[in-house]
Parts: sequence; C-alpha cells; structure tokens
Amino acid sequence: MSRFLSLACVLPFLLAVPLGLRSQGSKVFPYDFKVEVLSNGLKVVCVPLSNPNIIAFYTIVRSGSRNEVEPGKSGFAHFFEHMMFKGTKTMPRPAYDDFLTKLGAGTNGFTSDDHTVYFVVFAGRNNLEEVVKTEADRFLNLTYDEEMLKTEAPVIEGEYYASVSNPDRRLAELLRDTAFEKHSYKHTTLGFLKDIQDMPNQYQYSLLYKQRFYAPDNSILLVVGDFDQARLMELVKKYYGPWQPSNYQLVTPVEPPQKKAKRAHLAWPSKTLARMSVAFHGPAFSDEKINKAALDLLAEVAFSNSSPIYQKLVIEEQKCQNLYTGFPDRRDPSLLTISAVIKKDEDLPAVEKAVWQELENLKAKPVSAELLSDIKSNLKYSLANGLDTSDGVAGTLFFFISLTADPGSVNNLYDLYDKVTPADIQDMARKYFTQANSTVVTLTGGNAK
Amino acid sequence: MNALKFSLTILLLAGLALAVGSCSKKADPNTLTSELLPVPGNPLISFHILLKVGSANDPAGKEGLGQLALSLMANGGTQALTYQEITKRFYPMAAQVDLAVDKEMSVFSGTIHQDNLDKFYVLFCDMLLTPGFREEDFNRLKADQLNFLEKTLVSNMDEQFGKEILNLALYEGHPYGHEDAGTIESVKALTLDDVKAFYTQNFLQGNLVIGLAGGYPQGLPERVLADFAKLPKGHTPALVLPQPKAPQGLEFVMAEKQTPATAISFGFPVAATRADDDFLALWMAVSHFGEHRQHLSLLFQKIREQRGQNYGDYAYADHFIQGRDKFPATNYGRRRQYFSIWIRPLTNANRHFVIRQTLRELRQLVEEGISEERFKLVQTYLLNYTKLYAQTLSERLGWQMDSHYYGFQDFLAAVQKRLPKITREDVNRAIKKYLNFENVRIAVITQDAAALRDDLVANTPSPIAYANPNMPKEVLDEDLVIQVYPLDVRPEKVRIAPAGSFFQKPGLPQQ
Repeated sequence: MSRFLSLACVLPFLLAVPLGLRSQGSKVFPYDFKVEVLSNGLKVVCVPLSNPNIIAFYTIVRSGSRNEVEPGKSGFAHFFEHMMFKGTKTMPRPAYDDFLTKLGAGTNGFTSDDHTVYFVVFAGRNNLEEVVKTEADRFLNLTYDEEMLKTEAPVIEGEYYASVSNPDRRLAELLRDTAFEKHSYKHTTLGFLKDIQDMPNQYQYSLLYKQRFYAPDNSILLVVGDFDQARLMELVKKYYGPWQPSNYQLVTPVEPPQKKAKRAHLAWPSKTLARMSVAFHGPAFSDEKINKAALDLLAEVAFSNSSPIYQKLVIEEQKCQNLYTGFPDRRDPSLLTISAVIKKDEDLPAVEKAVWQELENLKAKPVSAELLSDIKSNLKYSLANGLDTSDGVAGTLFFFISLTADPGSVNNLYDLYDKVTPADIQDMARKYFTQANSTVVTLTGGNAK
Repeated sequence: MNALKFSLTILLLAGLALAVGSCSKKADPNTLTSELLPVPGNPLISFHILLKVGSANDPAGKEGLGQLALSLMANGGTQALTYQEITKRFYPMAAQVDLAVDKEMSVFSGTIHQDNLDKFYVLFCDMLLTPGFREEDFNRLKADQLNFLEKTLVSNMDEQFGKEILNLALYEGHPYGHEDAGTIESVKALTLDDVKAFYTQNFLQGNLVIGLAGGYPQGLPERVLADFAKLPKGHTPALVLPQPKAPQGLEFVMAEKQTPATAISFGFPVAATRADDDFLALWMAVSHFGEHRQHLSLLFQKIREQRGQNYGDYAYADHFIQGRDKFPATNYGRRRQYFSIWIRPLTNANRHFVIRQTLRELRQLVEEGISEERFKLVQTYLLNYTKLYAQTLSERLGWQMDSHYYGFQDFLAAVQKRLPKITREDVNRAIKKYLNFENVRIAVITQDAAALRDDLVANTPSPIAYANPNMPKEVLDEDLVIQVYPLDVRPEKVRIAPAGSFFQKPGLPQQ
C-alpha cells in the first residue's frame, strides 16, 4: 500500500499541476476531474492541466461493433467513423481538412467493440474555440451523399487488405466467430469481409445509424490539458447546446451459456509459426463486482512473462516464441483468451496441455500473496507510466468513460484490484475455466512459396 | 579501486557531465558522451543508451550479428542473474528494456517511475555492462531472429516486407543492404563466440551516448557515467559509406506470393540529410506530397480519398519509423538517406493503375513544383504539427539526441525559426535537386507478378471500376489519362522471385 500512496503523491507534479487541487487520497488516477452534463444529455469530463500547452479534445461515442446487432451490418460502426470526416454544409470536407492542417493537430478516429472515439490534440489554448466549434459542427451537421459513401466504402476493404497477411488478425476473427453464437462480439471491428463488400449499398442504413447513436445522450466529451474550464463549458454549451438527443435504446442479444467445448482450425497457405488461442467466456467489465477484476489478476498471475508457465514454455523449453493473455474490458461479457505462438507445429498439443494444466493448478492451489502483490504493483505502475502527457491522460481515461460513462471507474477498478484475494482468484478459476466453456482455435502454416 | 581514486573519478565525471550538459560536444572520441535533460518534479526517468553501431557494421557473412548480440543484452540474462530472474524483478515495476537496431546506431531505452529507480537501474546497468551471454539465451533469440526472417516477415506482414525489399533494392552492395536481422544463411552460422566478440569490439566508451531525462535525483548522471566508464576506452571507426547506386530507369523487384492484395513501395537515394541547409525545403515538398497518415498528403487525397483504392498513401524525405501515435520515432539517424513512397495494400486488380498514378503524380511534382497555396498550407501545418513531436520524456530525449547527431542545438526549435523563412522557390529548387520520376526503384508484393510485368512492359491500358456509379467527372477524366499513362519499363529491369527466396542471402535473390 505504501507504494500506492507514493504514486498518488508524486504524480500530480508530472505535468506541473498546481498545488491545491482536490486531494485524490489514495486514488491511482492522480488528477482532479470535473463532470458536467448539458440539458441535452451531453456529458463533459474536464481534466485541466497547467502544462505543457497542449490540449487533447476527445469525443467518445459509446457505440462500436457491439451496436452492430443486425445481420449484414458487421463493421458498420467503423465504417461510419470514416464517414464522420466528410464535412458539413458550412465546412465541407476540404475546408475541414484545411482547418485541421493549419492547426497542425494530431487527429484521427478509432473504433472498438464498445466505442468510436475522435480526437484532436493541438497546441495553444487560443485555438480552443475553433476546435470546439468545428467538432460540434460535424457532430451536429454532418452531411454526405450516397456517392460519397460509395467512394469511401472500398477504403474499408483496403484497410482489411492492410492486415490480410497477418495470421493473428485472421485467427482472432475465427475465434470470435466460433466462440459467440448470438452476441455482436461475434465479429471483429472491421467486420466480416462479405459485409465490408456490401457497404457501398448501405447509405440508408448509415443515416439510421447516425440518428440512433450519434447523439448527445450517447456521447461524452473529454478534454485534458491547458485550458480554462469555465471558458470550455461556455463554448461547449454554445456549440453543442442545439444537439438533439436520440433516446434510442440498444438491445444487444444475450449470449447463451456455452454448453460444449468448441474447436476450429485455420490453415495458413505459406510458412508461418503456429498459433493457438484457448478462450473462455468471462464477465463484462465492472468496477463494483469482483469477478472481472479477479480474472484480470488471474490472467497476469498465470500467464505474464514472470509466470512459471511463460518461463517454462518461452525461456526454458523454448517451445513458444510468445505466450500472452487478453481479457479486454467490455460492456457485455467477453472472452478471456490465452494465446501462444509456437515454434514447431508438433508442439501444439503439448503447449495446449500445459495451458490446461496451469488452469487446473489455479483451481487446486491459491496463488501466493507475494505474487498477487507483484501483479497489483505492475498494474499500477503500468497505468502511471502512461500519464505523462495530455494525450496520455486522455488516452487512458477515455477507455473507462466509454465503459461506464464515469471517469471515476479508473479509481474504482484499482480499488477493486486491491481487494482481490487469492481465494477470489481460485473461485474464478473454478467458475470459468471449464471444458464446456472453452473455445480453442489453432493455425498452422503450409508450403506455398 | 580505492575510495580516493573513486571519488576523483566521480568528480571528473561530474565535471564532464556539467560540461556537456544538454549538448554533446566532446573532444575525445574514445570516451563517453552524455545527453542530459533534467525535468525537475517529474516522477519518471527515461534512459536512452545509444550505441553508435548498427547493422551496417555487421561483418560480411555475419549479417544480423549486431541485432542478435544486442538482443541478448536486452532480452537475456546477466552474469549474476538469469533472464527469468530479471523478468521477475522487472515485473512489479512494470519495467522493460526496449531495443531498436538501425543501420548506424542502436538504442536501449527504458522509462521508470522514481519509486523504482535504484532497483531498475542496477539491473539495466548489469544487462549492458555484465551481460550473461548464456547458451540458452543465445539459442532462443537466434531462433526468434531466424523465424522472423524465414516465416514472419515474408508470410505475415506484407507492408513491412515491401519496405524491406525496397531497402535491399536501394542499397544492393552497400553496407545498408541487408535486413537488420541479417540473412537466413548468415544467422544460421552465427555463434555465441561471434556475439561475445561483437561485444568486446563494439561496447566501448566512445561508441556510447548516455541519455538521461526526467526528474532524476542529484548525482544520478555522475553515477551512470562512472558505471559506464568501466568499459574500455575506444571507439569503432566510422564506416566508409559510399553513396548508393542511383537507379537507372524504373527498376522493379517483385515478390511472388498467394495474396488478394498488392503492397507497393517506391524509392531512390537522396544526398540530403537533416544536416543539409535545404533539407527543410525538401521536407516541406514531401510533406505536401505524402505527409504520413495525414489528410494533407496529396497522394492520400488522390488515391484514397478521391478513388477509395486503399487505406493510405504516403511519402518520406528520409528514413521514417512511426513512433507514438503517428509521429516519427527518434534515434534512427543515418548519414545516407532515401526518398520513399508507401502505397498500402490494394486489390490486385488495380495495382497497375496505381503504379501509373503514383509515378504520374511524382512527375507532376517534379515538373510543376508546389503551388503557392499548398506551400503556405504546408508551412503553417509543419510549424504547428511539429510542436506535438516531443511530448513524452522519452520523445524529448530522443529529439535532443537526434538534434545533436545532425548538428543542431535543437532541431525542432530550428524548424520554428527557419521554416518561416523558406520560400516557395526554395522548395521547388529542392524538388528539382533531389527528386525525379524516371529513375526509381519499386518493390511489389503481389500474386501473378509475371502478368504485372508483362502489362507494365507492354503499357497495357489499366482501367479501374468503382462502386460509385456517379464518380465526379474530373476524376473519371483524369482516370482516362492515368490508365494509359506510358511508363518506360524494360523487361530486364523487372526482377521476380518467390517471396520465400528473399532474405536467404545478402542482397536480392538471383533470378
């Protein structure tokens, strides 16, 4: 705990945040933040920092590939992200590009399962009004015609092709498609190729998508850096005030409990290292219930690069080039995945067996308190190391905001981590790591030249 | 060492550190250089330990040696501790040591919270000063390096594959002319004794620049300098680097593989580096033509935005590695540079069209230069955008080190000062001086490469189709010109080889 306190005490000096800010006590996120909500439902999270003259302006739309619940619409959240750069009547695309170019801003958008995020990172608080005005304009007044959509759609296919030679991407597609039956996490953010190729025909649906999800009651602004908060709110009210809420309620399909182990294989045409992923359906993100937090720690205990199985398979026996876990925080239940890159195809069964054995060990014996302490320390320092710029702070905080709409979730989660005990981890291992709840996908290479 | 002598050494080194401060001037090429960037109050500390040796220093027949030896230091045990023990100790600190190997320099870097500074530094220092060079680490990392060359690069990452083939083509017969990881043949032959010899010959004081940034405590620079001063004095003589051979006409290298998408990279050597007076003018021209992942890029506008051909199209005035977000990474300084164009993968059916389109755009840039409007736009853009380059501690330190490498006190400050004084005429003069459209090397990863070669040689018309039935007339009119735009491609200038035949030996595969 002392290390934790040390972090919280020191970090406020990182960006020369002035003294006298509200004390965050033992909170792992060290900066003061303020939340205001406009009458149209638009939430604004402000993190003022006095240094270093850079502002990160993020718009978080709480809509991602999770929202693609209708057949044939996979990948649409990401496609719509592209359309958001098409301009408005008062600021057509060339003028918008011109504005951002002259501003010299770092700017882009990105889409994931649960969100689509747009950011403008720029220097100089004197540019704040123009940024707020321009960003508000495109969210309120986006204009594009069917022809513009038809021209943009093939770019998505190009984006798919940019990673077409990446076996990890293809295996991730296979894993989701195999593991999920009903939920929209069945597809990746890029979507199924057949749906991507049909995007030129989806103009009408794009209008519906915008109406449903690009609304103040489904969006949050996050502003971090060198600005005056009162002035910011004045600008936000002025430019975002007329934005009308949609009141749309998304219903995501409930994934039925998996009752039988699943397995799939992908043959890669040319030489490649073999891959394997063992996945289990796990809980959704929560900053209140212990399950997800305990499984996060469990994944680190069992498969981080300091874990016994990593040391054995990667460093000592050298059967694997890499071994890692992924258990992304998601609004709905998602997959906890253990993945390995294996040097020889013939070692695939042995590696899979070793992974299962490790999971059985977790069920049989509680992890040591010392190891658990190391894991908690790692998670806190990993977070702290990313908070040394305005963009770094925004890039950390947006994720929690997208999950719960509450920036305080970052602190709540780390408080939960502190409460996780070895018994919690053992309970979670017993609950989730069953054969019936598992999906295994593998990939091996061929001999194409 | 007795206490008095140790104290004197500390004092001497403290003097050296104070003398060099944030500037790396020094007289003796056989001793350490330091780069200090104190940021009081910052709880993080960044280390960049730069070695002025890179893959170009690999001896003939031992290509990949530098990469393997340095990997063993960054990802292997020390004399006192196994790699397993190091990873266990790093873990609670969320610490790691990163390694980047380029042609003429390599850098070990790490950023640590001040709570963990001492624990981290002791390990980091031992990794570099008393590496274990264990057989098991050697076998593991050698296998990783071989797998990268043999499987991953040619089979799992076509965009990078295309860039590496371009490098082979640009620098055939030159010290830069092999992949940093070496060749399959050379790496197979490397031994642990080779690695140890590399360390002895190259880990010398004069080859090292000790970079430190952040809220480090008083005395840390002196401590680090004292520790690294235990290395032998000396330096590796600077490599003789000839100017690479200029391409003669359009020279294609094609890797044949089963793929639905074609990756393309264009390039040719340029004599300018950031150290040259007219580099900034060239940089402005290339920013206009293809700024990395920005809408400003003309190629991006014409190929992606107007025609939806692929995900992006960019150009670079010098060697570019993407760092955080889309900003350039640091510590990739080179004395020989090249201009390049990166066309991201597009459907095979449109490859011929886009090759034509890219070379036609390049021709227009060379013949017509930059317009006044675009010149002013680029000037404003770069003045603002470069303010975002150095945000994290590590970035700030990296830019400081690169500034000094190219002879600047502060390169980014010089951009702010010099860029407003550059004229459109300066930019157009730099375009004429450094760029051309007739002598270009072109790397292509594609399927049925022979058909592409035949189409290129015969100048077969290459119309493309659009999903949008109502494309703007000006785009369609321009397409009519592009689809028959003649290229002077000679069959003997098109080399085709199976993807799997690359990186077997130095240079390009023999036909």
